[in-house]
Order: sequence, then structure tokens, then C-alpha cells
Amino acid sequence: MRKAWRLRTLVLVAIAALLLAIWAFPVLWALLTSFKTERDVLAYPPTVIFEPSLRNYRDVLFGSASLLPNLLSSVIIAGASTLLTLLFAIPAAYALARLEFPGKRASGFYVLATQMLPPVGLIIPYYLVLQKIGALDTYAGLIVIYLTFSLPFAIWLMVSYFEDIPREMEEAALLDRAGRLRALWYVILPQARGGIAVTTIFVFLNAWNEFLFAVVLGGNRVRPVTVAMFNFISVEQTQWAKLAAGAMLAMAPVILLGLFAQRHIVKGLTVGAVKGGGRR
Amino acid sequence: MSFAGPSQDAVNRGRSMASGGRVSMRGIVKRHGAFTALHGLDLDIEPGEFFALLGPSGSGKTTTLRILAGLEPLSAGRVLLDGEDVTDREPGERDVAMVFQSYALYPHMSVFDNIAFPLRMIATPKDEVERAVRDAAAIVHIDHLLARRPGQLSGGQQQRCALARAIVRKPRLFLLDEPLSNLDAKLRLETRVELRKLQRALGVTAVYVTHDQEEAMTIADRVAVFMEGRIVQIGRPQEIFARPASAIVAGFIGSPPMNLMPAEVHDDKLTVAGIDVPIDRPLGRAGPVTLGVRPAALRIAANGLPARVYLVENLGDTTIVDLDIGGLVIKLRTEQPPSVREGDSVHVTFARDAMHIFERDGGARRIS
Repeated sequence: MRKAWRLRTLVLVAIAALLLAIWAFPVLWALLTSFKTERDVLAYPPTVIFEPSLRNYRDVLFGSASLLPNLLSSVIIAGASTLLTLLFAIPAAYALARLEFPGKRASGFYVLATQMLPPVGLIIPYYLVLQKIGALDTYAGLIVIYLTFSLPFAIWLMVSYFEDIPREMEEAALLDRAGRLRALWYVILPQARGGIAVTTIFVFLNAWNEFLFAVVLGGNRVRPVTVAMFNFISVEQTQWAKLAAGAMLAMAPVILLGLFAQRHIVKGLTVGAVKGGGRR
Repeated sequence: MSFAGPSQDAVNRGRSMASGGRVSMRGIVKRHGAFTALHGLDLDIEPGEFFALLGPSGSGKTTTLRILAGLEPLSAGRVLLDGEDVTDREPGERDVAMVFQSYALYPHMSVFDNIAFPLRMIATPKDEVERAVRDAAAIVHIDHLLARRPGQLSGGQQQRCALARAIVRKPRLFLLDEPLSNLDAKLRLETRVELRKLQRALGVTAVYVTHDQEEAMTIADRVAVFMEGRIVQIGRPQEIFARPASAIVAGFIGSPPMNLMPAEVHDDKLTVAGIDVPIDRPLGRAGPVTLGVRPAALRIAANGLPARVYLVENLGDTTIVDLDIGGLVIKLRTEQPPSVREGDSVHVTFARDAMHIFERDGGARRIS
């Protein structure tokens, strides 16, 4: 019995280790690369022991092709689109989860249907629209475009969280003289915070990691870090070490956010698995 | 858990809530699409009354309570509280408090914050909130648990917390939606008594929904019996028990409920299971009826209706004997240990004045 249990644990750990290795290898490789000189990067066979240097980071941060402005752009774009998404998605999801209104089913389906279109198919129409209204290569233009796919996603995700909160919660709040808005604010939102956190993270990460729309619809004045890193790949050569350092910088906030929010994400993904969490 | 009833000091401070609380519901209709949940309901509840809405699930009692609370829009009719028409008022503007079946405690707030919530929503000064919360918590004996979260409380404590949240507002009306149904049997009996004491002490009007007839009969001043979206009888528990308005009510009230047997009326006698039973009062009609007899009114005797003993259930202080009368099983309840055994052939009899006679068809209304 005990032996079987041990074997099982061992196998599970081995599988987990393998998956972790597969996932972590490129990241670790990029991390190593970011501390190498360009010459070491191209060495064959690859060197594992080398003299680490922070030069790439210095170049990428403070050199002529500094990524700092691009990181700032990414923060603005991802931050603003996340905030706006939450601002609109929370009331929308709440309404879809709770209120009865004509066309509710249809609008719910419409929200989901927008997720079925391949984003690439939308680039040209978006480009033309933005060009017409003079919003190409502007923060506002890119943020609005990001909203078109983050909003439906966020609404769809959060509806299920709101539906999970018993209706009696807000009925109690309504009877306790809170009114709808304060019921939402004091009673419903605090209970949905796991779901809101998960949604926030997903939306932020999507916007932060987005490349395709940014490169086509932005590019010059508005150039998030994902696009800017592309500059290290040119016709003549690819500056692998700088690319790696840039990638590390671009990844840092993502990883920090992931670590910080891990608890929420895990809790959020298992929502409904354990009903109520001590509510009764 | 202490069980001394509500703390007297705290109750005295809470007593001022006993003002008003008269409820009138007029012609209440509730439709869900093609389905009619309530068919034109009229109901009057006096101030200070403990009023139970009793009925099987789906009979409309909870819908009625929710309409009173303002949580459910109605299709027709008016709701009046103390003579004021509140039909179109929001739940929070009706000065009513509700205890939900699930308690609906806010899980992210401490017990203190839960109880304080309705006061904070009307911007009550901080020290006043503090005092009112402590008083309300003391009344239901949870003043030592104020720092906990609802999830850290037992079922009974959660129930008290929900009660305190209702008490703290000093509302004119308490609405209780099956508040005891999530408690275990022993606690339910204890809390039932306590709830009654508390309501008396506070003098507040209470409307109490339950499907448990015993609960309604023991706790309420008056009971409205609901069946299929209609009130079929309103009265004091003893009245409903003694003179059920229809065979349906009769078959719902009492434990076990009244035995109902098909019978025929001919002149001055009643034929049930092939046996003629004399009746002492003229019914003014002939034909098929339903005869009702309470289990406790049945006796095993030397002659009477022939029956076969089907099952003997010994409950300790009482015994229920299931009797097969021509294929119909009726129940007899006795305090004396009966000398019969399963399979015995016996005769059962009952006093004439223990007979309830109902229409066989239509509304199964009481005839006599």
C-alpha cells in the first residue's frame, strides 16, 4: 500500500519535472543567453560556462536602442486596456448573470461569437477603420482594438463567477437598504474578487504579450516592447544576446504578476469545484 | 450553547421596534409566463402577530413572502404595510428585514460587519452602530463571536447571526423563509421555541414560511395554509386542526395527518367500507363524500369497521398502527401500547363527533 503510494508519487513528480523542464528550458536558455556576449552565443558547441556580463541589459535599457520607452508603451497599453476592460466588463457580466432583459440570450451569444473570429481576419478591416479616423499608430486606437477582443473574453469569463454567487446575497443586501449599486460594490464584488483577479491577469497578459495587432496597427510612435524587440532581428544579423535580454525584461512583469496572483488563479480556475467555500 | 432565551436587557433596548407592522395583501396575482403561481390572494396580518405561511413546496408561500419583501414583482394586486401602499417600493424602502433559508450571510465580512451592514447602509453614526450591533448579538447570544467570519460559525450560530442582522434594524416586519430548515432536528426544536420568545419579546410582526405543519402549528399565532397558489384556510392553529376547511388541508395537518376515506351518504347514515355508520347531524345531501377521522380519534374495539393490522410503529410514548380497511390504509394513533400484532384482524371505531365530512369532488370542501 505504502509502496504503491510512493511509486505513484515518484511517477507524478517525474512527469511534473519533465513538463517543467520542457517549459522552462527555453526560458532558462534565454536567461543564459542574455548574460553572454554575441560571440559566446554563436559558439559551437554551445558554452555553458562563460563569463557572465550585464552588458546586454545595459545596452537594452540605456543604449541607443533602449527598450525603456517601449516598456513604458506596453505598460500604458496593457494597463489602460485592462482598466477599461474591467470598467465595462464587470457591469456587463453582472447584468448578464443577474438581470432579466429582452435580448439577454442573444447578447450573451453575441459576446461569445466575437471570440470565434480569427483575429488575423480582422486586421485589415481594423487597419482601414483606424486609418479613416486617423487613429493608426496611436495609443487610443490600439487600446480600443484590444478592447474588442478583451472585453468579450472578460465578460464571458466573469459571468460564470457572478452566477456562482447565490442570488440571495444581493437580495439580502437589497433588503438591507444597499440598493443595486452598493449591493454590487459591497457584497457581490468582494465575493467575485478571485474571478476579477483572474480576469485582470488574463486580460493584462494578453495585451502585454500581443504582437500582431501592435506591429500592424502601431509601429512607430506606439511601439510596445514585443514589437520593439523585433528590431534586434535585422536582415544582416540577429542580435541574439540583446534579444534575450529584452525578452527577459519583457517577461519579468508577467512572471512577477503570475507569482503574485498564483493563489488567485488557482482558486479562480477551480471555482465551482468547492461550492460556497464555507458559506453555509 | 446557552439557552436562556433572549437577554432581557438587550431586549428592552430593542423593544421600541414594536410599532406598526400591519400587513394587507389584496388580490395578489403572480404569473410566470403561462403558469400562475398565485391566484388573487388576500391576506391580513395584525401588528405583533406571528403569522405562518404553510404549504407544500410549490404552493406559493415563498413567492408570497418575496412579494412582501419586494423581491418579486407581482402581476396584479397591492401590498399595504400599515396602510401605506408599498407595492412599487424597492425592498430597502419597505422597512422589512428578512432571514433567508440559506441565511445569506456575507462571507467576506466578520459577524460584526454582517450585523452592522444594514445600519451602515443608512449612514448610522459609528458609536450607534457599535452599540446596536452588540445589543442585537447579545439578544441571540453570539456577542462572543463578533470577530469571526460566517464560515467559522456552526449552522446554529450562522442562523443567529442572520437573525441578529434582521433584529438590529428594528424593522416593522420580520420575514422568515424556512429559517430552521438547515438546522439539525434537535437544534430546530430549540430554536423554534427561542424564535417565538424572541418575537414576543420584541413585539415585532413576523411572517414565517414553512412546509413543516408541526412547526407552523406550534410557533404561529395564525396560519395561512397554501395549496397550489391559493390560500385554502386562515386561522389559529387549533381552529385549523379542529376544523380543516377541506379534505386537502385535513390531509396536510397533523402528524400523522387525518385519515381520509371515501364514503356514501344515505339519509341519516354514512356507508364507509361497506359498514353503515350513524351520523348525528343532518348533512342535507346524499351521495359520495370523503370521511375524515384523526388518527388519535380511532380506537380498536369489539365491533366497528373490520380491519387488518398492517404495521405497528412504536414511537416510545405513542404507537401508530397502520390498518388496512378494504385496501385503504389508515393510521391509528394511541398512547396506550396496543395489544395487537401485525396481521391481526380487528375492528376500529370512532366517536361521532370526531367525524369530518368533506365533498368528494370539486374543492373537497368541508360539509360538516
